[in-house]
Amino acid sequence: MHSNKLGWLLLAPTLLVLFFFGVLPFIYVVYVSFHQWNPFAVNPDMVFNWAENYRRVVFDAQFLASLGVTAAFVFFAVISELILGYLLAQAFMKDFPGKAIFRTIHTLPLIMAPIIVGSIWKLMTTPSIGIIPNLLDSWFGYNLNIGQSAIAAFITTVVMDIWHWTPLVTLTLIAALVSLPPDPFEQAQIDGAGKRQIFWHITLPMIRPAILATVFIRLMDALRTVDEVLMLTGGGPGSATRYVGVHIFKEVFPRTNYGYGSAISVIVLYLTIVVCWLLYVFLIAPRNKKG
Amino acid sequence: MSFAFRLGVSTLALSIAAGSAFAQDDDFWAKAGEKFQGVTLRGVTEATPPSNYISDVLAPEFEEKTGIRVEIETTSWDQMYDKAIKDMEAGTGIYDMVYIEQDIVYAYLARDFLVDVTQTLADNPDLKAPGFDEAAFTTFADYFRGENGDLYGIPMEAFIKIYLYRTDLFNDPEVQAAYKEATGNELKPATTHEEYTQIAEFFTKWGEDHDMDLWGTTAQAHTGHPASWYEYVETVAPTFGVYGWGIDPDNNYAATVENGGTMNSDEAKAALKWWLHMRDIAPPESVQSTWTEVATTFAAGRAAQGLVYGENAAWIASDDSKSRVVGNVGVALPPMEDGVMADAESGAGYIGYYDGGAFGLPVTSKNQDAALLFLQYIGQESVQPGWAVAAPRITHTATYDDAGVQEMNDELGGYYDMLREDGKLFAGAPPYPFHAQLREAVAPIFYDILTGNIDPDSGLDQMAEKTEQELTDLGYRQ
Repeated sequence: MHSNKLGWLLLAPTLLVLFFFGVLPFIYVVYVSFHQWNPFAVNPDMVFNWAENYRRVVFDAQFLASLGVTAAFVFFAVISELILGYLLAQAFMKDFPGKAIFRTIHTLPLIMAPIIVGSIWKLMTTPSIGIIPNLLDSWFGYNLNIGQSAIAAFITTVVMDIWHWTPLVTLTLIAALVSLPPDPFEQAQIDGAGKRQIFWHITLPMIRPAILATVFIRLMDALRTVDEVLMLTGGGPGSATRYVGVHIFKEVFPRTNYGYGSAISVIVLYLTIVVCWLLYVFLIAPRNKKG
Repeated sequence: MSFAFRLGVSTLALSIAAGSAFAQDDDFWAKAGEKFQGVTLRGVTEATPPSNYISDVLAPEFEEKTGIRVEIETTSWDQMYDKAIKDMEAGTGIYDMVYIEQDIVYAYLARDFLVDVTQTLADNPDLKAPGFDEAAFTTFADYFRGENGDLYGIPMEAFIKIYLYRTDLFNDPEVQAAYKEATGNELKPATTHEEYTQIAEFFTKWGEDHDMDLWGTTAQAHTGHPASWYEYVETVAPTFGVYGWGIDPDNNYAATVENGGTMNSDEAKAALKWWLHMRDIAPPESVQSTWTEVATTFAAGRAAQGLVYGENAAWIASDDSKSRVVGNVGVALPPMEDGVMADAESGAGYIGYYDGGAFGLPVTSKNQDAALLFLQYIGQESVQPGWAVAAPRITHTATYDDAGVQEMNDELGGYYDMLREDGKLFAGAPPYPFHAQLREAVAPIFYDILTGNIDPDSGLDQMAEKTEQELTDLGYRQ
């Protein structure tokens, strides 16, 4: 009983912070989402409109399109980060000249604010001036113009996200790889297992919890990407990179459509929870049952 | 009495009078600041040359004279609005001064966000600075007056979006001869869209033929930023006779031709197609260019002509640490269709965008009296000439005659003369309290036109319909 009380006491500050900065704002957003509210309308007051905003979301072609491009963005970015992060983590497990410097440089993007990342990539991809279009042009004769080509803009935002977040995956997987016991690997080698067999049957299952945790974190982060994309493309060309985060930003801030923007936010939060739950059901729960 | 003696006595008298006026002024600021010791004023504004002058020069000067600390936050255009509106909306009172661009003042006034400067000074005569006089402002100040005629913002910048051209290219005999041979015309700044197109096409080809990084025109044509929408509705469409964004506020805010608007009129469609063609022959970075990048493109010598915001004209024409075309910049009125000049002269229309902004005092400010002092400080006639030379903006009538400003006027190819004499032909944004809301509603369609997903004709039809729908939703259109 005593330890229970102490536990709650120690948790109390965190719970209070969570309540005031997490739960309360969320409740307010849900409340606002049931209202029509644009302070620059003729009637600037909040008017309760039942679930009208949610009905609108379902038929909003712009929102549905942004959901589609977001799904593609998340899929390509997270998968690429995972593969690249694992390969880099494996590389860092070995010794090679300049490893310390390379590891420091490789981690630098992680400490940058997203808005800085967006600015850097904007400078690097501006036609005629940026280094990337210049190199692509001189090496392959390819004219990169992310202000014109929807596919180029989409790929560039994915590459920018990979550049920014792969170090997080690498660091997490390094930690997982370092903590692996050597015995199973030695036994497998004695039994004549090949590198591929060791990877599939020993390494991968053993670092699975770390991989799944990383996927969850990156998935949720990628779904709410705003700053760097806003800085790089502004959501364009057209709506090619108007990911849900950017869509919500434009709806809520410049357009001051608070009620409708809140409804979209709630729906996106719900979808994020559903995606994470599906991942849990299909990837984690079966494993736990097997014990 | 000899002339020299009389001149000497007059100069001495003037010096004593001026000296005593300055001393009187200093006394006022020191005394006025006494009761606000320890106060820190916070302002938010867009990072532009005029705003930078406030934070770098005027704020420290004010601080020295009054002892009131001033922190000016200069940030991007989007962030500036985001922060200011959220602060005033939530009533947090973080900011004591906010930048009010001319096009948003109507929304701020409709929401009662701002303090009535005229009335407050009348009610508190002890706060009135001797060097501040509302009558000294140019007529641009009228944009910041409420329905009662009172001032709700202190004008801090005013400029027109002008037609800049490269005098070194336009005056080059070899280029002139080649142009004459190619077009049959003399090379001179364009007055019509047809001439502008001919010049733009010629220079883009000239750049290609001579393996130069040179194109015929600039284009503020970002495919995901409102800058492109603004270039079209505020700079290009008016020169084709489409005013007020193609919306008729006197006709139930109609936008479609069917209901009496002009947003999808034949003139609007011609304007958009002309501009898209200019975009296609502009430097490749134009599809990612906002107003800032257009200025840097021109300053880098990558365009022979272009429509550029006047706030950038000074550094383009005179700052050789940032510009490659120093001494080679000419200014002219934008090209236009027949009848547009007559409309502008009669007041029925305008030939381009008269932009600018003011510093306003939010009603949510917790330091209103001290902020009012600062606003008067930057609104004094005495601080204007230095400010106008550092950043090409003029808000006071007398500033035009200052020797430093005249000198800068020569460097800018007569820009200030144009502002003084032809400023009346330009106009600010229409007085709608729903700028950002409408813009964001139609912008996705506009960006789709820019990327070619929708053709310009049906795109404008969709934009006009969307405008009416949005204005109905907002309650402006019945």
